[in-house]
Amino acid sequence: MLKARHIPLAIILAVGVWALWPPSDDEATVRLGSGPARAGSDKAARPYQLRVAPGLYLPGTMPQSVGKPLKGLLEVAEKFEQLYDDTHIEFVGSPGVREWLVTQLSAGTAPDILNVNVENVWQDVQKGWYVPLDAYLEQPSPFARPGEPGSKQWWDVFKYQAITRGKAAPDGKSYCISYDMVETGIFYNKDVFDKLGLRPPKDWAEFLDGQQRLREAGYIPLIVHVQNATDWGVDLVFDQLYYPILGGIDLRKDPTREAYLAGYLDWDEICYLYGKGFFTRQDPRWRELWRILKDWRRYWGKDLSTEDMMRLFVTEKGAMYWSASWVVQKLARDPDIPFRWGIFYLPPIPPSVSPYSGGHEMCVIGGAAVQYVVTNSAFKDTGDPATSERLKRAIAFLQFLTAPENADLVTNEVLSMLPNVRGVEPHPELKPFDEFLKRRYTTTKWWFTFDMRFNEIFLRMCDLYLNDGIAEEPYLEWTEKNLDFAVETTLRRKKVDLEALDRAWRQLAPLRAGVKGLPDGAK
Amino acid sequence: MGQSRRRPISQNLGCYGLLAPTFLLLAVFSVVPFVWAFTTSFYRYEIGGEATWVGLTNYIEYPQDPTCGISFRNLLFLTTFSVVVHVVFPLIVARLIFALSSERARYAYRIIFLVPIVVPGVAVLMIWRGLVYGDNGIVNELLRLVGLAEVARGWLSDPNTVLWAVACVGFPFASGINILIYYAGLTAIPESVHEAAELDGASGLGKFFRIDLPLVLSQVKLLVILTVIGAVQGFQGMFILTRGQPGFESMVPGLWMYFNAFSFQRMGYACAIGVILFLIILVLTVLNLKYFKSAEDMTAAAT
Repeated sequence: MLKARHIPLAIILAVGVWALWPPSDDEATVRLGSGPARAGSDKAARPYQLRVAPGLYLPGTMPQSVGKPLKGLLEVAEKFEQLYDDTHIEFVGSPGVREWLVTQLSAGTAPDILNVNVENVWQDVQKGWYVPLDAYLEQPSPFARPGEPGSKQWWDVFKYQAITRGKAAPDGKSYCISYDMVETGIFYNKDVFDKLGLRPPKDWAEFLDGQQRLREAGYIPLIVHVQNATDWGVDLVFDQLYYPILGGIDLRKDPTREAYLAGYLDWDEICYLYGKGFFTRQDPRWRELWRILKDWRRYWGKDLSTEDMMRLFVTEKGAMYWSASWVVQKLARDPDIPFRWGIFYLPPIPPSVSPYSGGHEMCVIGGAAVQYVVTNSAFKDTGDPATSERLKRAIAFLQFLTAPENADLVTNEVLSMLPNVRGVEPHPELKPFDEFLKRRYTTTKWWFTFDMRFNEIFLRMCDLYLNDGIAEEPYLEWTEKNLDFAVETTLRRKKVDLEALDRAWRQLAPLRAGVKGLPDGAK
Repeated sequence: MGQSRRRPISQNLGCYGLLAPTFLLLAVFSVVPFVWAFTTSFYRYEIGGEATWVGLTNYIEYPQDPTCGISFRNLLFLTTFSVVVHVVFPLIVARLIFALSSERARYAYRIIFLVPIVVPGVAVLMIWRGLVYGDNGIVNELLRLVGLAEVARGWLSDPNTVLWAVACVGFPFASGINILIYYAGLTAIPESVHEAAELDGASGLGKFFRIDLPLVLSQVKLLVILTVIGAVQGFQGMFILTRGQPGFESMVPGLWMYFNAFSFQRMGYACAIGVILFLIILVLTVLNLKYFKSAEDMTAAAT
């Protein structure tokens, strides 16, 4: 028997059921992406059901929580399915964490195509989890019109050739296609800068001076996440200090990657140089790197781990935000941003700030953003990439994605990345990043040099050091312990040819002669 | 006391048959993984790679691991804190509820204190993170509101506060099953004992310490064991709140085991850490059972 006191409960239940009622098929498609083909539908019966984890471009999502739900990739997939009536493309999300990736790949249940930083792939190439794409990249793309880029080699469709080819793994093979590009930059509040008479700095001293003035005016001068500080910050300052002596320590020339990664210090070179005393407490440049970062840290926000850095910037608590091109989506499309904003790149560190710096232009550290790899799931029909029809469909879909009209539809739907396909121009708001990308690439990327254990410890201890949780000497001792382990593991796993590096080291001795501030083992 | 005669297995086949599925599932999902982990701990094994026999290398490496010392220091702090608050606070609340004269009120309070356990643990952690996190957390906003802006900080990212910020999850620690366990223990105390104590002049705190506490020691013992096991094994709170950061200031062995297993792919090493944790829990439980005497144990020993 229904009593009066039951009525509010019934109303709450009814509202709850209404709110949670599943959307109709059309709504679900927009909100959640393509989804699996329904049993009984035409697509469910197709023999090749490819699962794609497209990262940023996942249909139905709203990057940076602004704009409309994405649908560009869905449209491309539908066109592809019309061409290949035996194939259905299902888009899935992926957590983007290595734990998930490793367990999926080891079980053979990973999506056929997925977006992953290819440096993570390099760790596992020997396990056969990923398909090398060189053979396909060297063939024409079936979707390139005669005479247009891609009609001779699929490679040619890519706009940033050097970066794309530079993504080859240290074993020389290419396991990914770089679908678009990203670069870092400092977003600044133009209104605040104008009010204080500031301008984008020309060098490091001016940069620090401007931050001091911002702090005195009550702003957080620079908003930066600790992960970016340890990844980007370390690499950029490292490049400023080590680039002047690079000629004497660049031990291996890799012709495949030299076009973009000229002078890049790979993990085997880092291992060898570590044995010579570089990157230890004996190395004055290494100490200088941490001194500069610590000195800079006083201008950053109080909490370097907060997940909501953007909020501090858009609410004008912070005057500068060190992030990357993906932020443009929010700043350009959110009508509630109450100020004018601009972008500049980090200025160089002059010799007056550090005796080890050459004062050269800051390098870039971004590059390939969405990187599509093909996994072992793609050839599970035969277990052999050479005979797999399923793999052919997966490759064909990637080639279809890089046709200019499709790349435009997908990449330019979001104001985040620069399209990496010839004939597709980026949005005007992203042009500054296009300019940044013309600079020289970093000397090394510590984040991608060793294994995940090294990175985990590196990040954590750097965070602690920057937050005054550990003094410099014990901190440097920690980094040495971390490097000891990483170097030993790398030498064992990768079977590094130390003799070849040793020969190169001796050959480069004249270039090191007279260089000041080398560690004892390198003299 | 005479020994009961054993009945032949054939007479109990039905019971064994009913137990068999449970036993089988336990074997498959608990015993086999443990045996596998124990075996793997003697190998260098990477997911998707080959396994190489390394003997006790993983066990020798862990004490030299730079995270080991700080992890166990944190574990000791968190376990001690957890045992104290999860044993003491629920006992106080249970005793207060038990002291209520109205049976209806007792029932209502039991329900009120039990309701929070329906909130998923992950949700509790996320709410806590929202309270204490960074520049916009409620705790910091309140501090600013009352003029204590200089005290505001990233509670979970400050090396000086992170362990306390993690330990205080679940504040005021007075919800859930522990209260019910104590309450059951308190209601099991015969009324005649209370009456006798009152006749002897015991009341208030004196009665609590001399009568109630000794008679719920078996519940205390149970909760100490469960809390220690939970604290040593558990790392999900740390994983969600801090991932052991900043640095390793909130790292615990279980979390490092997880990272080694699934991030670093050092499965053999992770298994060795797991076996070490198992042995620690085993030793602590045995010590607890052996030296922590409840009223029943003491009575049994006396007779």
